Amino acid sequence: MLRGNRELWLALLAMILITGLYGLVVFLTRMIPPASELFGHSIGIIGFIFMLTTETLYSLRKRSRSVRWGRMSTWLQLHIFTGLVGPYMVLLHTSWKFNGIAGATTLLTVIIVVSGFIGRYIFTRIPRTMDGLEIEDTLSQETIKQARRLMALWHTIHIPIGMALFISAFVHIGAALYYATFLK
Amino acid sequence: MQSNRLGCLTGTGIIAVLITTFVIAGYAYASGGLMFNPGPLSAKSGEILGGVTSHSEIGRDCKACHSALWDSEKMADRCAVCHTVIASEMQSVASMHGKLTHDNPNLSCRHCHPEHRGADAQLTVMEDALFPHEAVGYSLNGHQRTAANKSFTCDDCHHGDISTFAPDSCQACHSEMDLSFTQAHLLAFGADCRACHDGVDRYGDDFNHNRFAFQLMGKHINVICTQCHLDARTIIDLQSAPQDCLACHRADEPHEGRFGSDCAACHTTDGWKPARFDHNLSIFKLEGKHREVACESCHQNGGYKGTPLDCYSCHQKDDDHSGQYGTDCSACHEPTDWDKVTFDHNKSNFPLNGAHVSLACERCHSTGQFIGLSTACASCHGDPAYHAGLFGFDCAQCHTTNNWSARFNGSHPGIADEGGSGVNHGGGTCRDCHTQTLHTATCVACHDSNNPNGEGGGEGGGGD
Repeated sequence: MLRGNRELWLALLAMILITGLYGLVVFLTRMIPPASELFGHSIGIIGFIFMLTTETLYSLRKRSRSVRWGRMSTWLQLHIFTGLVGPYMVLLHTSWKFNGIAGATTLLTVIIVVSGFIGRYIFTRIPRTMDGLEIEDTLSQETIKQARRLMALWHTIHIPIGMALFISAFVHIGAALYYATFLK
Repeated sequence: MQSNRLGCLTGTGIIAVLITTFVIAGYAYASGGLMFNPGPLSAKSGEILGGVTSHSEIGRDCKACHSALWDSEKMADRCAVCHTVIASEMQSVASMHGKLTHDNPNLSCRHCHPEHRGADAQLTVMEDALFPHEAVGYSLNGHQRTAANKSFTCDDCHHGDISTFAPDSCQACHSEMDLSFTQAHLLAFGADCRACHDGVDRYGDDFNHNRFAFQLMGKHINVICTQCHLDARTIIDLQSAPQDCLACHRADEPHEGRFGSDCAACHTTDGWKPARFDHNLSIFKLEGKHREVACESCHQNGGYKGTPLDCYSCHQKDDDHSGQYGTDCSACHEPTDWDKVTFDHNKSNFPLNGAHVSLACERCHSTGQFIGLSTACASCHGDPAYHAGLFGFDCAQCHTTNNWSARFNGSHPGIADEGGSGVNHGGGTCRDCHTQTLHTATCVACHDSNNPNGEGGGEGGGGD
């Protein structure tokens, strides 16, 4: 069940740890870690991998019928955890500059996180089994129907935003590789 | 919605992909790559290079600086298109850029000159260990650690702008380190530290004046710098400080130049006194008692050069001869002792010989007169009564200085030239006949008065 807030607390803990590490780097180098240097670059890459893989893995698990590996609720918890920590790392990667495509990507990241939060609270209104299957429970059918409609609507928004984010992020990564990483 | 497709590949998802791609492509086309700009380019204006005065003017043209992955050209080659002077400088190891790239072959322009950091951002950022700071005329040898034992940062000296250095940048730190010294040093040598300090040499505590031609010894060690290096403002000024003694010591010079300008010939840096003047190098060597005499005895009124060399200038008062022997005392006297006289009487017009040699001076020079004393015998010797005034005063006619024994070579009138006696009748002496005086004579001393032909009663009178 996804009634508790364990993944949120874990995400908060991870973010505090990352913030501490970030603060240490700021203290040692006496500057905001630039996106292009070791720390700033690393958190960007790791953050994006978090965002990318959890999305794809969660989707795969969700759509998979043959392999029921792990509970859906756990996967969702992981998705929420990485969906918070990943964007947070990406946010730190920006070095607080929001130019061009990179800035747009950051904006989309913020939007997708907000959207995810909203979705999480819609989602939890629908009673489910531990495997994420919906349960016809004590709630009135009307309430559940309403929640399902809302969930479907949310999906049609959350997923396009995510897709736009990934396209934008890929372009940003491609441009970064072209203009910086492989700069001769 | 239950399908095997990836969750993201929904209808709206695919539409979103297409729209996003279209928007990005469209914007990229319209903005000329601005969307990939990680930050504004420098707007700092400089000289006109490549038709622009700042990078920001070509901010929309990524290709102006960024070569494509598949191009053979590197980004640095794009820099060189406009920055031709720097590009040619990089060919020479003697130059800062040349040395930097020679020592670090993998270094590219952008490693020190990062861009896209804002319109006002610093265009030069260097790791200090990498940068050959001495190539810009100032070594960081002496600036490895701050007074607080921390590593130096560029900003410690280049406040804000690494490409400039304010001449007074040194003052703040060095005043903190030693306020009184720094202030005194600034007053003495001015505020342009780099006019003298190049960072290679270690001045300060490690400064060793003795590495230079003018070594500091004796009392020079504690002299403050400005006493010699007056108004020095550059290293050239310092190095051209005069090294001759008089340049600084003219005011201390009591000899009025009579000894020339090389004080060190007599004095050492340990002090003006004692001076180690070697008088014997002068034309007046000090010997005997002259060695013990105070300088002032001869060099009166502080005069040294031109001091008269003749004895009389000093010793006139000592002259017991009342000037009779002239002024050259050394003709007779030695500097060791007045009494040690080496007068050679034979060089006078009255050479001493015979019995005169052993006489005490006073026998002749009884009145203390030496010069002009008569050389006539009679001035000392009287004519004896025995001569009866017959021979005048030229004693030497008959006598020598060896003894008074005389030989009269004149004729003896009235005396028969008998027996070959001639003047020396009978071979005797004058007194044999002239027993009383020379104008009286007697025969009977030899001859018997009763027998004129016989021998006298004396030794000659054997015929009696």
